[in-house]
Amino acid sequence: MFVRPTLAALAPARPYICPSCLHRATFQPLISSPYTSALVATRRRALHTVGNPSTDHDAPFRKTLKDAAKQRKRERSGDSVHQASKASEPRLQKWELTVGIEIHAELNTARKLFSSAASSTNDAPNTHVALFDAAFPGSQPHFQIETLIPALRAALALDCEIQPKSSFDRKHYFYQDQPAGYQITQYYEPFARDGRITLHPHDFPNGISPQGGPIAIDIKQVQMEQDTAKTVHQPPATHLLDFNRVSHPLIEIITLPQIHDPTTAAACVRKIQRILRSVDACTAGMESGGLRADVNVSVRERHTQAAQVGNSYHGVTGLGQRTEIKNLASVKAVEDAIIAERDRQIDILESGGVIEGETRGWTLGSKSTKRLRGKEGEIDYRYMPDPDIAPVLVDKDLVAHLQSTLYLSTDDAIKMLTEGEEYNLTSKDASTLVSLDDGARLEYYLDVYQLLHLTLRSRPECLRGAGKVTGNWVLMELGALFKNEIWSADRVPPNQLASIISHLLQKKITGRTAKLLLSLKFQGDSRDVAQIIVDEEMALQPLSQEEYIELAQRLLVENPNIVKDIVEKKQYKKVKWFVGQMIGKAAEGKVEPIAAETVIAELLNLPPGKLK
Amino acid sequence: MSHIKTSLKLLGNQAKYAHLNAFTSLANGETVLETTAAAASIPNPNPLSGRLIAVKDNICTKDLRTTAASRILKGFTSPYDATVVRQLKDAGAIVAGKTNMDEFGMGSHNTHSYFGAAELSRREGEHLSSGGSSGGSALAVASGQCWAALGTDTGGSVRLPAAYTGVIGFKPSYGLLSRWGVIAYANSLDTVGILGSSVNDIQHIFEKLNVHDPQDPTSLLRRTRTRIDSNPSKSLQSDRSTERLRIGIPLDYNISTLDPMVRRTWTRALRMLESRGHTLHQVSLPATRHALSAYYILAPAEASSNLAKYDGVRYGSRAEGIDGTPESVLFAKTRGQGFGAEVRRRILLGAFSLSAQAIDNYFIQAQKVRRLVQQDFDDIFSTQNPLQDSPPELKSEEKVDVLLCPTAPTLPPTLASVKDQDPLNAYMNDVFTVPASLAGLPAISVPVGLELDDRDPELFNENIKQTAGMQIIGQYGDDPLVLSVAAELQQLDQGLDPSGGENEPVWRTPRDKE
Repeated sequence: MFVRPTLAALAPARPYICPSCLHRATFQPLISSPYTSALVATRRRALHTVGNPSTDHDAPFRKTLKDAAKQRKRERSGDSVHQASKASEPRLQKWELTVGIEIHAELNTARKLFSSAASSTNDAPNTHVALFDAAFPGSQPHFQIETLIPALRAALALDCEIQPKSSFDRKHYFYQDQPAGYQITQYYEPFARDGRITLHPHDFPNGISPQGGPIAIDIKQVQMEQDTAKTVHQPPATHLLDFNRVSHPLIEIITLPQIHDPTTAAACVRKIQRILRSVDACTAGMESGGLRADVNVSVRERHTQAAQVGNSYHGVTGLGQRTEIKNLASVKAVEDAIIAERDRQIDILESGGVIEGETRGWTLGSKSTKRLRGKEGEIDYRYMPDPDIAPVLVDKDLVAHLQSTLYLSTDDAIKMLTEGEEYNLTSKDASTLVSLDDGARLEYYLDVYQLLHLTLRSRPECLRGAGKVTGNWVLMELGALFKNEIWSADRVPPNQLASIISHLLQKKITGRTAKLLLSLKFQGDSRDVAQIIVDEEMALQPLSQEEYIELAQRLLVENPNIVKDIVEKKQYKKVKWFVGQMIGKAAEGKVEPIAAETVIAELLNLPPGKLK
Repeated sequence: MSHIKTSLKLLGNQAKYAHLNAFTSLANGETVLETTAAAASIPNPNPLSGRLIAVKDNICTKDLRTTAASRILKGFTSPYDATVVRQLKDAGAIVAGKTNMDEFGMGSHNTHSYFGAAELSRREGEHLSSGGSSGGSALAVASGQCWAALGTDTGGSVRLPAAYTGVIGFKPSYGLLSRWGVIAYANSLDTVGILGSSVNDIQHIFEKLNVHDPQDPTSLLRRTRTRIDSNPSKSLQSDRSTERLRIGIPLDYNISTLDPMVRRTWTRALRMLESRGHTLHQVSLPATRHALSAYYILAPAEASSNLAKYDGVRYGSRAEGIDGTPESVLFAKTRGQGFGAEVRRRILLGAFSLSAQAIDNYFIQAQKVRRLVQQDFDDIFSTQNPLQDSPPELKSEEKVDVLLCPTAPTLPPTLASVKDQDPLNAYMNDVFTVPASLAGLPAISVPVGLELDDRDPELFNENIKQTAGMQIIGQYGDDPLVLSVAAELQQLDQGLDPSGGENEPVWRTPRDKE
């Protein structure tokens, strides 16, 4: 296909894509070819949904789900081995992988963590730098209390316990992007602890969880910290420093080492990213450098006594010696780096070697991780409480307020859509809605449904099944129109779709009319749906009894052979042919099938009940 | 004397005593005189307007370089004024210049300066320590080169040089004076201090600077200040007035290495106060003996962190040539060359005591000692510590209002003896000043004349006054009481043993004029 090689060629040449460039690439196609929109749509999907760029992301999500369901069926009937990778890798039966993840995410805040300078992403270098950000002598930190809000939202969405008291510490290391010589972070007393994230089958790209059911991963803590400056290397020997990013607030999310599968690790990162965005804690994703992950990886032999392998991390005991892979900038990098590191460690262990505790790096597209520094080169960060920053005290009323105003989590949304009487969607439709367009599709759906509900308040009988009908229109009908285009809620505003569905449910228009209306609106008809119905005389206006009889009689006279088939050969099904003819001959929406059938039956003197 | 005349006299002294090396940079003399003249013509002058105040070189000024007496900041000019500098200027005062100091405040003799030692030399051939680290500020006041001076006190850096040079040095309670623009040495201890030749002058400056500053996150909030001023435990002591105070004598400070002359001056000062109706009481501060060790763990630990920012990348000096390995842009050479020996020593000490292997045995233990030192003080002061939550206690018989003890164990040593001193012995100088720093308490050093028998006949014949610094320590927030006792002590001492005239070196006795 045309699209994929193009993207692949782009990717390695541009390891960092700034969001504004991305915008330009998305909305101002430079080449005007019929393929442009397809290219854009593909890229967009890769960025925002199930973006594992190497997997078959061209397939619509629903198809992926369908395929996954089929595969599940096959598995149940014993057609395939439990997991393909495990079959091809018998070593994995012997060795168990354990992974813990640390995710650094830029918080969505107006100001920096310790100065009133604005946080920015693409402004001219060094235009948002307060004295403290550049570590000027005598300057002191001014904690920007409002940066706590998105941090707290994130922690609550990750089911953490917000600590009534937290404090800031200095983590020391020398690097030119670290002006103070230390990073201010929360080492001794983080602001949130003991969270949890649950990965459901729908959180995996193919809908299959490696462990069958949902996988729970505990989150040890979430802490706030400062970002570093940006170094722009200009070969051969120039390093330009942009301090705009210095002290941009970050949160670091640390999971316990409870992950045993690379796809689970990838799904975990992807889901955390989605949760952070859905609660408005972060705006940028990994693709734009707004999120980075470190993973720690160890393997141990299955079925051995815990005493034989003695490492313990964050209270999880009996693990093998771990290594840390730093600074992974995409979900794919997380998955690939873990696979490579797992295989490297197993190779060493199988050949009788010993794993060294060390820090390793990974570059996209490479086959193995690369050693950065060993234990002897490990940095002693010399954590020290920052004497200039008072402890942060968070009132429990604030926590309660944030909790009550928190956006729906994906899991809660799916639960809401499938359980209970209100929406009554299938779990497949629900997870599709939730996963599409960063939650924008779900929001659209809820808007349409709510408007519909308002309109039809007085006619509850019409609302039966409205949730499902709305789902079909948003996913299938509108989905088909948007197939090759970027989703936009403004294309057919929610009130317009609600109006279409409302007319349909009240039997004021036919289904065909409804589809036509949708298509008109999609193509940019600026009139109101109600207005179009009037202008184009689309309303279902039943013919009078005389008109029905007149139309039917004309058709009966014109088609004596068919009348003969019905009356003499008792081919009663051919009545339907007349009904179709009547609908076709009359103006759009004027003939109701049941009424037409009745008239024909009466004119032909058919015995009652024969038509059913 | 008019302000112009005073300024002229002080500027004259700046030239006359330039060899003391009190300043690292001086304000332009003409500008000083113009500003003085302008200040004289304003309608509502306050006690600071038109006054020449010297500022320690670790306090940021826009107009003059701020180097902290370090090579790594040589030639550095701050883009902003420290809050305390702005406050002085707003009150009409004139920054006389930046004063010499031990590099980044690390030292007790002002010998660890990129600009060379600031030395106390009251006569030909005398080369004494001016004390540190605010040696330049103390000397500038002592030799009449300014009206008063700002210093910083982390473990005694204002009080010790005040004691050596015979001026008054006040370290207010931690958190009262803004540190915004004060180059951090150990920020949990750093306090801006005031040096002057009279308690009255210091009081005027203190009043101007003692306000909340939103720029300093450790500056006490207004409501806390109000709470301290109306400390309920203060009003409980109906008998506490400046007329009849209970003065504590901390026996733990009577160490064997205390110079007998200083001990006798201590006794003299206590007698003078007793003669005014105050009562004397022995008190015990058992944690004091661990205070010095704790201080020399905590201060270097914070220093190693605070000084990590000096890499020559954004400001300050950089080593010549390529620094670090070709693949990286690091700054080992820059830092190695930019810092002096004492600063390097303390950075290493601090980096060690914060390291994973040592933090539990050093840094954490030292923090515990710090808390014990504070508890010791809380146990003996009649006023409750307003920052502690425990309910106010009634005054018991053992409790006291203020403590009186020597500021330093000896008189100013010669620079020659200091040069050969090993660092550990140099740290011993801070033994009496460090406890108040650890507890954040107000403390002031007042010069008190030696007993007649202890005076050096040669100096006596040359009409050079000989004093030892006596330290008054009060409960947290009791700054006004500490100042008033200091004023009383100075008055008592001056009555018996007056200093020379205004704008003269403080060591001159009136006989000098005859």
